[in-house]
Amino acid sequence: MTTSPAEADTDVVHAQRPRPRRGVSLMDAGPPIALVVLFGVFAAMSPGFRTFSNVQNVLDAAAVLAVVTCGISFVLMMGSIDLSAPGIMGASAITVALLVANNRNDNDLGLVGVLVAVLVAAALGCLSGLALVVLKVPSFMATLGVSAVGLGVATLMFAGVQPNISDAMLEGWAVERFLGLARLTWIALACVIAAWLVQRYTRLGRYAFAIGGAEEVLALSGVRVAPYKVAVFTMAGAFYGLAGVMVTSQLGAGLVQAGRGFDFSAITAAVVGGTLLIGGRGGILQSTVGVLLVTVLTNGLVQVGVSPYWQGGVQGLIVVAAVAAAVIPQRRRNQVTK
Amino acid sequence: MSTPVLAQPAPDAPVVHRPTVGQRLTSFMPVIALVVLLAALTIADPGFLTLSSLTAAVRTAAPLIVLAAGATVVVLCGGIDLSIAALCSLATVFFALWLPDLGGATTLAIIAATGAIGALQGVVHVLLRIPSFIVTLGGMSIFAAIALVISDAGPIPLSDRDSTKWLTLYVAGVLPMAFVVALVLVAVVSLVLKLTPLESWVRATGYSESAARLGGAPVDLVKIGAFTLSGACAGLAAVMLVSRNFSGSPTMADNLLLPAVAAIVVGGTAITGGHGSLWRSLAGALVVTLLRVGLPIVGVPSAYEQILYGAIIVAAVALTLDRSKVLIIK
Repeated sequence: MTTSPAEADTDVVHAQRPRPRRGVSLMDAGPPIALVVLFGVFAAMSPGFRTFSNVQNVLDAAAVLAVVTCGISFVLMMGSIDLSAPGIMGASAITVALLVANNRNDNDLGLVGVLVAVLVAAALGCLSGLALVVLKVPSFMATLGVSAVGLGVATLMFAGVQPNISDAMLEGWAVERFLGLARLTWIALACVIAAWLVQRYTRLGRYAFAIGGAEEVLALSGVRVAPYKVAVFTMAGAFYGLAGVMVTSQLGAGLVQAGRGFDFSAITAAVVGGTLLIGGRGGILQSTVGVLLVTVLTNGLVQVGVSPYWQGGVQGLIVVAAVAAAVIPQRRRNQVTK
Repeated sequence: MSTPVLAQPAPDAPVVHRPTVGQRLTSFMPVIALVVLLAALTIADPGFLTLSSLTAAVRTAAPLIVLAAGATVVVLCGGIDLSIAALCSLATVFFALWLPDLGGATTLAIIAATGAIGALQGVVHVLLRIPSFIVTLGGMSIFAAIALVISDAGPIPLSDRDSTKWLTLYVAGVLPMAFVVALVLVAVVSLVLKLTPLESWVRATGYSESAARLGGAPVDLVKIGAFTLSGACAGLAAVMLVSRNFSGSPTMADNLLLPAVAAIVVGGTAITGGHGSLWRSLAGALVVTLLRVGLPIVGVPSAYEQILYGAIIVAAVALTLDRSKVLIIK
């Protein structure tokens, strides 16, 4: 994402080189416009949707998905895919529920418990990365496997008795409000900002982009790609872990199924926001717009009286449509799709 | 997932392909695993190697074999079908809903319907050039949503149990009919592939799609056909599940996705496409079923089952991957 060489070159090879996509292209502007339009449509259709408290609801409901999407965005930027969110979130949800004050044991670690849960999740994410880099297992298979491992670990710790948390701090995250929004929403906002800073200002973020754009070139220019790939999966795992903790805070209990469906919702959000699955495009801010789009759609459909069972189906349609919209301009070039 | 496929520089002299020791070992992997598992289980519990428990095991394995066999063809083409389990669940709901109207023809109607749905996924994949795992991941959640809505999120009991009774019979008193049907399916599909140009088209598509296209193979049609078969197999597996449970439910087969994927890769079919066969998936499905049945016998809590699936999938994919083909793994 360096700008100066490109600018220096413009007067020399202006004609041959396609202009760097700067400013507002349709692809970048599309999702925010869609968000505004969708919001307007639902506001016109449903009086319940256009209330202030419902806007609060939408933002609060987007919190967990936003954190998961932060993690998955980096993986998608690299051109990989991550299906491990359900397993990792389940494992971290049970871990944190067993470590803070709860009805199963005498632990009362508070924030340390949260930290341990996030570390466990990061370790699982690291496992996906290692399977990808060391064993050369394609990421969607590796993460499918790690998801199963995470669910298994969670089931083991669950041991048949649901751990209900009684930790005041963790329960407070979901209930107490600050400036009208739940604390979880502020945590999610902090995550988005942190992830954006990582993407924009650290080597990890820039290399994640570059790996998605042209991994061969990066490797040939002497960058050791493997450690960065593992690091990205580890970071994604940590985000899922935090999301698992947030779900535990919302439910007041640790559940194995805490992350059910979040992998798909997060991929939907990222793709709708403009992150390409082949990598190298998109980013945290785009994905966050995608999260809001998905959440507004979910909330709005329920408000206008569509059965909540349709949610997954609508997301499925959106994801296929969004990927198709992004791919169709290049379909003559991409003859091979696996 | 885009996997840039770079061809190795072709050597001048024709080279006779000779498998290395490792390749030989991995090609027998499913059979070895099956024998080792059987031996281990017999040692752990001498009562295991009896006719009745083996019969029960292959009967449980039947739907898994059918699911895995269908998806194997997609994997051979280099794609993946993640929607099989959700489609199978949807089909169980359809079966319970259609049975009162269609009677004996329900089974055929189900297989035709799921085949058509599979074909639709194939068409979307081929025409829009969307990666197959995205199409089928989307399909997975769409099918799950449809199943939830039309069943009202609950199980639907069968109105007439006789229509699926034939699947619960035993051939010659020992072999469960469902298992025989699964065997026949694998045999017929394998034979059809072998006796027609289909097999070389499928393999060519899996090994190198662009080369297959240039060589004149009808790549798009082959892929659509593979997805159609995968869908139809999901329908047949659904009928088998219904015949055992006497009801249709929107989540009945959802936990079969991981075992089915595990069966395919444990069988030794390379996830990169081209290399593998339906017989391998049959062996893989038996291995997975034995693990499932065997863990409690050895005294391992069933929670380890999931961890085992995860580890098996990763390990088996790593072992069977065609590294010469894919230089960059995404």
